[in-house]
Amino acid sequence: MTQGTWQRLKSDPYGMGGLAVVTLFALLAICVWTGLLGQGWSAVTGERYEAASASHWFGTNLLGQDIFSRTLFGTATAFEVGLLVTLCSTVLGTVLGGLAGWYSHGWPDELILWLKGVLDSIPFYLFAAAVAYALQGSPWAMHLAMIATFWTTTARIIRGEVMRIKEREFIEAARAIGLPGIKTVFRHVLPNTFHILLVQGTIVFVAAINTEVILSFLGLGIKDGVSWGLMLAESSQEVLAGHFGNFIAAGTSLFLLMMGFNLLADALQDALDVRGALN
Amino acid sequence: MNTPALKVKNLSVWLASGSGRIPVVDGISFSINAGEATGLVGESGCGKTMTAKAIMGQLPVTGIGVSADAIEVEGRDIYKLKAGQKRAVLGRDIAMIFQQPATALDPVFTLGQQISAVYRRHCGGSRRQARQTMLEALRGVGFSQAEDIAGVYPHQLSGGMRQLAMIAMATVCKPAVIIADEPTTALDNSSRALILQQLRQLQTSRQTAILYISHDLSVVRQTCRDVMVMYCGRIMETADCQSLFSHPRHPYSAGLLACIPQLGKTRPAPIRSIPGQVPAAADLPAGCHFAPRCDRAVAQCRESVPELDASGGRGAACFRPL
Repeated sequence: MTQGTWQRLKSDPYGMGGLAVVTLFALLAICVWTGLLGQGWSAVTGERYEAASASHWFGTNLLGQDIFSRTLFGTATAFEVGLLVTLCSTVLGTVLGGLAGWYSHGWPDELILWLKGVLDSIPFYLFAAAVAYALQGSPWAMHLAMIATFWTTTARIIRGEVMRIKEREFIEAARAIGLPGIKTVFRHVLPNTFHILLVQGTIVFVAAINTEVILSFLGLGIKDGVSWGLMLAESSQEVLAGHFGNFIAAGTSLFLLMMGFNLLADALQDALDVRGALN
Repeated sequence: MNTPALKVKNLSVWLASGSGRIPVVDGISFSINAGEATGLVGESGCGKTMTAKAIMGQLPVTGIGVSADAIEVEGRDIYKLKAGQKRAVLGRDIAMIFQQPATALDPVFTLGQQISAVYRRHCGGSRRQARQTMLEALRGVGFSQAEDIAGVYPHQLSGGMRQLAMIAMATVCKPAVIIADEPTTALDNSSRALILQQLRQLQTSRQTAILYISHDLSVVRQTCRDVMVMYCGRIMETADCQSLFSHPRHPYSAGLLACIPQLGKTRPAPIRSIPGQVPAAADLPAGCHFAPRCDRAVAQCRESVPELDASGGRGAACFRPL
């Protein structure tokens, strides 16, 4: 990321707002990981369904657990899932998309496109359930299901971009100084897709957190710990009875973080697009 | 001096098509001595760039075939080398300068990073050593503040400066041969003068052999001692610049020279052109390819191919030379 990109990002108030929200949540997540916050998420500290008060900011749930602590812990869960899935699926998508684009219409391309086609054709929630079943309830089944399917979008984008970049003259120049093909891909082609990966990464991050919530809601997600999805699952019964604590806390947090990320992704896309800067 | 820096023997390039081979470069041979520059001129599509790419081993790609008896760099045949060995030669012993300096540099790395990478790839050495050599190379092409230029991304430079940086990159390993494929076509006149000056300096100070590909005869005249005129994949005439310009022997060379507009005449002469069009590579006339456009052509020209005999340093592939 160059100086100009940062300048353009800084001049976008929505983007900076998004960045602020994301940073705030990320800091909360770090505080949870380091043990500063949210450690009492499973302790029973009050009566059932207490209203919001000074000791329980967001009230308590059915078991009398503090909803505020659970929301904080849910933040860490969201970031853990988001980071892991984004990192793995982006690396996988970049490498496979890069190979497919470089050897376009060759057998690596055919193979990767076939794999992508197969994975894309399976309904995702069915796939997640199948993986969870196959791994006998491993806590990583959800992550694995997401990584195994989310890379395809990244790969498709990177493949197209690589096919475009490899026709450019500096790739020929790299060959003319004796750089082997596969090194050219990693040294000169993929670095030129970084701006796309950055934006795509934020989009995958949002998708991963979103999907975690849905999967947890369905009982296919988080096994130990608590997540916003589990809180929403609990709240589905409570809302009818007039207890909104879980629903509002998890729903609002999810909304804020998603909103922040989407604003950031949008602003990043504009800031990294040099053509936009000329206008 | 006995071994030429670059020697090409019987190089052919063709496109593979359904019905057979379409010749793009048709059995050309030439050699360039150390410290000399030879121009390769011709119209667009006559096979100049294909020749350069074939020498650099950038071909074959899909659908393009190459054959040669030998392509020797300082006496070593690089045509028959295996891919891995050839890659070690490219960029170290023979390097190329591209037509479009804007696109021939990777936009996401600084010039310093790119030039050092070439050096480290071929000559090894420590980071510090690579940086030193890189800065020297930049200074060598006239950047007095090499440290600043090294930290700059390609898009921050003008076209002329980028091309100078390309030259620095091509020369960082001190190659014996440089192929310059229309290095000044995309540049304005003052940048062009700067580039040509740098290339001349390479010739004299480092004894680099230069194959200078251009469609611009006047640039070749400024840069090169010898010149080869190419038409439809064949070399039509080879001569030193001076004789070519004063006494072209091949009717095609004469036609090309006549096309250069003359300034300063009292009555402007109409701008001349060679009648007819360059034939398509798939549909070349038998015999001399230039015969249909040539006003001196006789029956023999349309039947058999005139050989190029350049034994005396100059020759024309023509039955009826001027």
